[in-house]
Amino acid sequence: MSGGGPPRKRNFKIEAFKNRVELDPKYAERTWKVLEHAIHEIYNHNASGLSFEELYRSAYNMVLHKYGEKLYDCLQNTMTWRLKEISKSIEAAQGGLFLEELNAKWMDHNKALQMIRDILMYMDRTYVPTSHRTPVHELGLNLWRDHIIHSPMIHSRLVNTLLDLIKGERMGEVINRGLMRSITKMLMDLGPAVYQDDFEKPFLDVSASFYSVESQEFIECCDCGNYLKKAERRLNEEMERVSHYLDAGSEAKITSVVEKEMIANHMHRLVHMENSGLLNMLVDDRYEDLGRMYSLFRRVPDGLSTIRDVMTSYLRETGKQLVTDPESLKDPVEFVQRLLNEKDKHDKIISVAFGNDKTFQNALNSSFEYFINLNNRSPEFISLYVDDKLRKGHKGATEEDVEVILDKVMMLFRYLQEKDVFEKYYKQHLAKRLLSGKTVSDDAERSMIVKLKTECGYQFTSKLEGMFTDMKTSQDTMQDFYAKKSEELGDGPTLDVHILTTGSWPTQPSPPCNLPTEILTVCEKFRAYYLGTHNGRRLTWQTNMGTADIKATFGKGQKHELNVSTYQMCVLMLFNNADGLTYKDIERDTEIPASDLKRCLQSLACVKGKNVLRKEPMSKDISEDDTFYFNDKFTSKLVKVKIGTVVAQKESEPEKQETRQRVEEDRKPQIEAAIVRIMKSRRVLDHNSIVAEVTKQLQARFLPNPVVIKKRIESLIEREFLERDKVDRKLYRYLA
Amino acid sequence: MAAGGRVRFNVGGQVFETTTTTLANAGRDSMLGALLDSSWNVSSSSPSGGGVAEYFIDRNPACFAVLLDLLRTGSLHVPPHLPEKLLYCEALYYGLLDHVRAARWGAFDGDRLRHAASVPGRAPGDGTAIRAAPDGGCCVAHGGAVRVYNWMLDERRPVSLDHSQVNDAVYLDAATLLIAARERLGKRDGGMAAFSAASGDLCHRFRVAHDRQVKSFTAGALAFDQDSRIFASCKGRLNEYGIGVWDRVTGEQADFFYEQPGCALGDADKLQWLDATNALMVATLFPKADNCFIGLLDFRAKNVVWSWSDAGAAASLDDKRVLHAIAMEDERSVCVINQYDDLGFLDLRSGAGGVRWSSRSKLMNRKVPGEESCYPKLATHGGQLFSSMNDSISVFSGPEYVLTSTLRRSHGGAICDFSIGGDRLFALHNEENVFDVWETPPPPII
Repeated sequence: MSGGGPPRKRNFKIEAFKNRVELDPKYAERTWKVLEHAIHEIYNHNASGLSFEELYRSAYNMVLHKYGEKLYDCLQNTMTWRLKEISKSIEAAQGGLFLEELNAKWMDHNKALQMIRDILMYMDRTYVPTSHRTPVHELGLNLWRDHIIHSPMIHSRLVNTLLDLIKGERMGEVINRGLMRSITKMLMDLGPAVYQDDFEKPFLDVSASFYSVESQEFIECCDCGNYLKKAERRLNEEMERVSHYLDAGSEAKITSVVEKEMIANHMHRLVHMENSGLLNMLVDDRYEDLGRMYSLFRRVPDGLSTIRDVMTSYLRETGKQLVTDPESLKDPVEFVQRLLNEKDKHDKIISVAFGNDKTFQNALNSSFEYFINLNNRSPEFISLYVDDKLRKGHKGATEEDVEVILDKVMMLFRYLQEKDVFEKYYKQHLAKRLLSGKTVSDDAERSMIVKLKTECGYQFTSKLEGMFTDMKTSQDTMQDFYAKKSEELGDGPTLDVHILTTGSWPTQPSPPCNLPTEILTVCEKFRAYYLGTHNGRRLTWQTNMGTADIKATFGKGQKHELNVSTYQMCVLMLFNNADGLTYKDIERDTEIPASDLKRCLQSLACVKGKNVLRKEPMSKDISEDDTFYFNDKFTSKLVKVKIGTVVAQKESEPEKQETRQRVEEDRKPQIEAAIVRIMKSRRVLDHNSIVAEVTKQLQARFLPNPVVIKKRIESLIEREFLERDKVDRKLYRYLA
Repeated sequence: MAAGGRVRFNVGGQVFETTTTTLANAGRDSMLGALLDSSWNVSSSSPSGGGVAEYFIDRNPACFAVLLDLLRTGSLHVPPHLPEKLLYCEALYYGLLDHVRAARWGAFDGDRLRHAASVPGRAPGDGTAIRAAPDGGCCVAHGGAVRVYNWMLDERRPVSLDHSQVNDAVYLDAATLLIAARERLGKRDGGMAAFSAASGDLCHRFRVAHDRQVKSFTAGALAFDQDSRIFASCKGRLNEYGIGVWDRVTGEQADFFYEQPGCALGDADKLQWLDATNALMVATLFPKADNCFIGLLDFRAKNVVWSWSDAGAAASLDDKRVLHAIAMEDERSVCVINQYDDLGFLDLRSGAGGVRWSSRSKLMNRKVPGEESCYPKLATHGGQLFSSMNDSISVFSGPEYVLTSTLRRSHGGAICDFSIGGDRLFALHNEENVFDVWETPPPPII
C-alpha cells in the first residue's frame, strides 16, 4: 500500500439483484416441451433414452408452480394428436389385418398410458382431485374411445368385422379367438357401456335374425328330435363362445336370444310335430329326446307347462281308453298290470328325462287319479290283482318281488277315490285266501296290511287284522281240541274248524246245509267242546266256505283222494248209498241253496278230467230235471284230484250290485258321523259348507255323493240332531 | 434392473443403498415403484460390470432416509429436527403419503388413546359439530360454514351451503362431505348438498319434491346406509315433515317417509342406519320442550317397527331427560344419556319397555351441570361406548359397559361434540373453538 496520494473516495453503488427470484416466463413452455418429447418417444417405442426421475421432477415442478392446468391440457392435446395418428394407421390396415392392427395399437397405447401416468403421477395425486379432472389413465381410455373406437371410419368397420367373424365361426370357420378375446376385453376396459352399446347390442340383434332364419330352415327339414339336437348344440356353442371371448355378462343375454328364436318361437310346432313330436317321444320312450326337450324347454317361459299339458292329455286319453276298454275288463289281473305298466313307463320317463320334476310327478298323479276312477270296478280289480299275487302257486316271485309289486299296487291304491270299496273287496279276497289256506306267505299279507294302515289309518285295517287273529286262535283251538278229545273221537273224519268273529269277516249269511252224519257227529263234539270253554258264544257253521278231502274208490279199484268243497263233499257222500240221484233228490237231501248247488254239480259233472259224476242228459248246464250217477269210469293220472268250484273270480253283475249296495249302506253312518262331528264344532253352517267339509273329511276313504249327504242331513234333522234355521233356511243348527 | 436386487440412490448428494424387495413395499403406484418398473429400464443403461444401478434423485436426503426406513420397517421415526410438514411434502413427492399416514398412528383403541394435537379454531361463534373423516381428517361445523381439515390437520377451503345455519355434516367417503342446512325464512336456500372435501366445491344439491313439485326445506340430521341410500330429516314449509331418502349414485330423491302422528321425524336430531335390522333409527330429543321420541323405520313396509317415547311419563321423571341416543353396534339396544351423565338402555327386541337407567351420577358424584355446560353426546366404536360430559370423554368397555378410561384436556372448556373415525377421536370444545385430536400410538416394539 502506498502512503502517497489522497485516499480515493469509494463510490458505493447499490445495484439491483441480478438473479431475480422469478421464474422464467418460458419455463412452463420449455418444461412441457421436454415432457411432450418424452410422450412422443414413448409412443415411438423409444423410451430407453429417457430419464424417469428427470421427467417426474419436471412434471412435479410444473404442478408445484401452478402450471397443473397447462400440463393437463397439453397432455390431453398431445394424446389426442397421437391417437388421431394412430387412427389413421388403423384405418389404413387392409382386410384381415385391421383387427390385428387395432389390437397392436391398443397394446401400445396401454403401455404408453402406463408410462405417461408414471411421469404425471404427482399431478394425478394433487392437481386432478382438487380440480375435478379425469385421472390420467381414465383420460387415456376416454380419448381412445372417442378418437379410435367412435371414429366414424373405424366404428362400423370394427363392429362389422367382429360380427362377420362370429358369423363365420357359426358357419364352421376357425377364427382367431385370442384376438377376439383381446378386442372384446378392450371394449370392456373402455367401460361396460362401450361394450354393451358398441358391440353387445348389435351382436344380439344380428344373432336374433341369424337364429330366426336358421330355426325356420331347421324346422322345415328336421324332425323334432333332430331339431332339438341342433338347438341344443347352438345353445352350447353360444355359451362356449361367451366363455372364450365375450364378457361373462353376455351369456344370459345371448342364450335368451337363442332360446327365444330357436325354442320359444317354435315351441308349439315342435311339440305337435307330425310323427316325431312329443306324443311320439312318449309313446316310443325316447328318453334322450325327451330329456333334451325338457332341458331346452325349461329355459323358456311356458315351456315346461306346454310339455306337461301334452303329457297330461296323452295320459288321460290312453288311460281312459285302457280303463273303459271292454277287452281289458275281462281279465282284472291284466287290467291292473297294464295300469302298472303305464305308470312304470311314465315314472321312468319322468325320472330319466324330466329330472324327477315335481310338477311332472303331480301331473302324472292327477292324470292317474282322473282315469282310474272313471271305472268304478278299479277298486275290485286292484284287490283281485293283489289276490292273484298273494295266492299260493305264484311261482318265481321272491319276497322282494312281491314287496315291490305291493308297493306299486299301493301307488294305484292312492289314486282311488273309493277306498272303502277296495276295503270291502280286499276283505272278501283276503278271507278266501285265509280260509282256503292259499296265501303265499303271512309276511307278505301282513306287509300289505301295514301299507294300508300307514296309508289310511288304523281304522281301515282293524278288521283285516282281526281276521289274522282269528286264524291264529283257530289253530290253537284245534290243537287243544284234538289234544283233549282224541280218545273220544276215535277214527272219525278229521275236522279243521276256523272260528271267525262275526263282523270281522265278510260272511254271507247262508243257512247251513245238511251235513253227512259222520261229519255232523264230529261237529257236534267240537261245538260242545268250544262252548264248554267259551261261555256265552254262538257258533254258526258256514258250510258254504269249507273244504274237504275225501277218499273214493272207482270202478276198477283205483283210489283217488278228492279235494272238494264242503258242498261237494255233501253231494258226493250221498252217492255212498245210491248210484243215481236226481237233482231234486240232491237238493232235498242236502238243502244246499240252488245257485250254489248248481255250481257245485257243474264242477263235479261237467269239467273234463274231473267228472266224478255222470250227468244225464249230457250237457254243459245243470237243469233241475237232470239225473246224476256215480262215474265208475273216472280215471286220473293223479292220486289227488282237486275239484275246483266253478267260481267267477270276478264278481257277477248281481253280486256287484250287492257289494255296491253294501258299500253304500256302510257309507251312510260314516257320512252321518262326519256331519255330526262338523256341526258339533261349528254349531251353525250352511248347506254348501257342510257338503264341502264332509267331502274333505271323507276323501281319504271315498268321495261322498252330495245327494247322499243331503239325504243324510235330512235324516239327521228327522232324528233331531240338526235343525234348519228359522230365518235362513239354508242354515243348519246343531242340536246338542 | 439392478443385479442382485441391490439398488443405489444418490439423493441430493447422499448415497443410499437398498434392495428391490424393500422398494417393492412402496407399491407400483408410487414414484419409486415406477422408477424401478421394467418399462422404464428397457435397455438397462447401467454399466454391466458394476452390477448396481444408481439413480439420482434431486430431493432432501434426510427425509428420504426416514421414508426408506419406513419402507424397510413399516414404522415411522421422525428425527426431532425434521419438520413434519417437510416430511409430508417429500412423502407426497414419492407417492408415499398413504404409507406415512398408515404408520403415523395405530389402530383405534379407546383405552390407549393419547392426545396428539390441539387445533385452535378461528370461527367467530360456537362450533355445532365435529365429524371425523374416514382417512383421519375432520370437519367442524359452526354457524353457516364447515371448516375442513385433512389428516395432516391442514385446513382446506371451508364449505358452505348458501351460508345457512349448518345442522349436520357427514362424510360419505374421504372425498365427499354432506351438509345439512337450515332454510332461512323468505329465501329458498338451505337443504342438503354434497361437497368435495378436497376442493370445497359443491358437487350436488339434493332436492325434495312433494307431489312432483320441488320444495325448499330444512335438513336436520343425516345418515347413509351400506348400499346407496342417503337419509335426512326434512322440514318443509307446509308441514312437509319426514325423512327424505336419496340415491347416492344418481343423487335423485328415492323415497319420502312422511311424519305420522305420535312420531316426530322432521325434527330428528339423530339418524342412524341399522344394517342388520334393515331399519333407520330416528331420535328426536327436544331438550327443552315437547317429548322425546325414538323409533325404527322400515322403508320397505313404510312403517314404524319399534318406538319409544317419554310422552305421558309423569313429571316426577322430569329430572331424567334423554338428551342423546345411539343404537349399539349389536343392534339389540339403544343407549341413551341424561343430563346427569346417566346411561340408560332401551331393548330393541322387546316391545316398548322403559329405559333401564344405570345411575352413574351418584357413583361419579357429579353435580348438576350449570348453565355453561353442553349436552352430552354418545358414540360407539369397536364394542366400546363413549360419552362426553363437560370437559371430558368417558370410555366404557365390555359387555357391561364398565368405565375404563377418561379423556380430558385442561383447557378449552366443555366438550360440545366429538366424533370417531379414521382411527382417531376428535373432540370439539365449547370455548375458543379448539378441537383435540386423540390417537392410539403405534403398538410397542415388543
